[in-house]
Amino acid sequence: MAYDIRLKNVVKVFSSGKHKGVVAVDNVSLDIEDGEFFALLGPSGCGKTTTLRMIAGFEQPTEGSILIRDEPMEHVPPFHRPVNTVFQDYALFPHMTVLQNIMFGLKMEGLSGDAAKQRAYEALELVRLPEVANRRPSQMSGGQQQRVALARALVKRPAVLLLDEPLGALDLKLRKQMQYELKSMQQQVGITFIYVTHDQEEAMTMADRIAVMSEGRVLQVGSPRDIYEQPQSRFVADFIGETNFISGTLESHDNGVGHVRLAQDTVVDVQMPKNFSLSSGAVTIPIRPERIGLLPNGNDSPFHNMEDITILTGHLLDSQYIGTDTRYTVKIPGDNEIVVRIQNVDYLETVDFEIGQEVQVFWSLKSTHVLDH
Amino acid sequence: MNWFKSQDGRGFLLALPAIFWLGVFFILPLFTIVVISFMSRGAGGVAELPYTLAHYDRTFGVFSVILIRSIRIASITTIVCLFIGYPLAFFISTRKNRNFQNLCLFFIILPFWTNFLVRTYAWRILLGDAGTINAILLSWGWIEEPLRLLNTEFAVLVGLIYGFFPFMVLPIYASIERFDFKFVDAAHDLGANDWTTFWRVVFPMTLPGVLAGSALVFIPSVGAFITPDLLGGTRGLMIGNLISRQFGGSGNMPLGSALSVVMMAVVLLTLLVYVRFGINREGDD
Ligand SMILES: Nc1ncnc2c1ncn2[C@@H]1O[C@H](COP(=O)(O)OP(=O)(O)O)[C@@H](O)[C@H]1O
Ligand SMILES: [Mg+2]
Repeated sequence: MAYDIRLKNVVKVFSSGKHKGVVAVDNVSLDIEDGEFFALLGPSGCGKTTTLRMIAGFEQPTEGSILIRDEPMEHVPPFHRPVNTVFQDYALFPHMTVLQNIMFGLKMEGLSGDAAKQRAYEALELVRLPEVANRRPSQMSGGQQQRVALARALVKRPAVLLLDEPLGALDLKLRKQMQYELKSMQQQVGITFIYVTHDQEEAMTMADRIAVMSEGRVLQVGSPRDIYEQPQSRFVADFIGETNFISGTLESHDNGVGHVRLAQDTVVDVQMPKNFSLSSGAVTIPIRPERIGLLPNGNDSPFHNMEDITILTGHLLDSQYIGTDTRYTVKIPGDNEIVVRIQNVDYLETVDFEIGQEVQVFWSLKSTHVLDH
Repeated sequence: MNWFKSQDGRGFLLALPAIFWLGVFFILPLFTIVVISFMSRGAGGVAELPYTLAHYDRTFGVFSVILIRSIRIASITTIVCLFIGYPLAFFISTRKNRNFQNLCLFFIILPFWTNFLVRTYAWRILLGDAGTINAILLSWGWIEEPLRLLNTEFAVLVGLIYGFFPFMVLPIYASIERFDFKFVDAAHDLGANDWTTFWRVVFPMTLPGVLAGSALVFIPSVGAFITPDLLGGTRGLMIGNLISRQFGGSGNMPLGSALSVVMMAVVLLTLLVYVRFGINREGDD
């Protein structure tokens, strides 16, 4: 497997200014593959931009090393690295036209004249903005500036394109459209993208793999499906989508199935991750609201006799209509409150629940998972 | 009717005091000077008819040496101020510590706290034949005889550079202060080294400050008369001295007017350059 970018135990401590010793990036190791769309996802201030800036060469790691295409980057200045950046606020040169902005990088490679112009126009075609070549950045909308910034970076044909929340300043509709365009553009040009965002939905829809960061650390790296279905920490489960956390005690496990006691008379089965740190003790079961079913109590559930289905009785505390779904809050054994999301469809018989009534919640073993805290 | 958005005739009323002020104190005297510059010299140096071009003849004739010297001195002053001022302004505005920045600016404007005339006299003491500089050089044995420093073009340059230096630094400081260093990252990212980044990104984007500073130094330098009067002697005589003499006791008002008109034309030309490159650029951004 060819790695475009490798980070080995990278640490960045900012010591200037009033706040001495801010650890912005804390022992981060990443292997990013050739041609991958890789997202760095995390809340604001978790060190995403700093990580990207170290790859670009604007900041030096305090410890650890960065390799681009197997070459150590320690003494390579940003202008000699085979990466280009799309900055968060674009950083288009205001004293140059769009064309001059795009040709700037080509001139630095010694390319000029018609050849450079042609490549610049190709880049503008790629971002579908051929008509703005002679405008100034200030004469364009945010969306157009975003595309120009993209063209300015892509025209250099970098090995890796670094994007720092490139869609952050755009309105929702445009953002959705650009997500789609960026993704297809990436597939078209075949360049590795490292994409920084704090928007989990954006990361989920666009990335091949996601690294979830928090407080300078990488908590989990995996495909969107892995991250969503098998979160390895409470933070990841909570940050990506909505999750219920059911607390209980792991009593035993066999064949990859753990038995967790929620209350005196209630034990549920969960899938155990490989190499789980505990064999017994307090655990948390994260489970997604849309993976849980809801029926009035007393109904014979159609799943009653199936294996691998957990059924619990509880009572309904609240229901909230939110258009596409209805969110029900249910109290289940062991003092746990969980949220159940049922899609509002009309091709199935709908049930009207009343607050306070007894209900059954049920889920499949496949939807379960366990965390050690 | 909203005064704050008024685009119709009434907004004009707000400018009326300024228009009146300009009319009485600028347009009218200017017009008078231009008219007088085409008149003959009468008894006691005042103007009288008939109209003549004689004073312009002299201005571009015998006095052209002084006119050219004035432009040369002002240009050198501006260039030296720029070469010292830009790096200094860059240094100050890129310090992280705000207090240190303010301290630097404080020292730059500190000389303004004393009278300009006094400060210029101080240079006479420094540059004189028996002055501080010569005394030091003599005592070190670097020279045998005192250098002639005072009453030279060099002395005028020193005085002007010293006097107008803050006018160069402050506007440049302001424009570098406003400059966002993300553009440096962007230029580096696109493959430009430090040298290219400076000349193609930093300098063009701080050019408004450079032009403003240059205009603020060049314009008063070209018309300076106190500094050349005190430090220049006859060899450092500038057009400002010439003009002030013509309006004195046994002077020649029409000649002084002609000299003034030509000097104003020079200033106007520099302003045109400023407007063309400075304002235009900022307007585009
Ligand atoms: N130049 C700097 N000097 C000091 N602290 C910094 C600097 N840049 C970033 N930080 C700090 O490092 C942490 C991570 O910042 P950043 O990488 O910008 O986060 P993100 O992009 O994920 O929002 C923050 O606490 C931030 O305040
Ligand atoms: Mg950031």
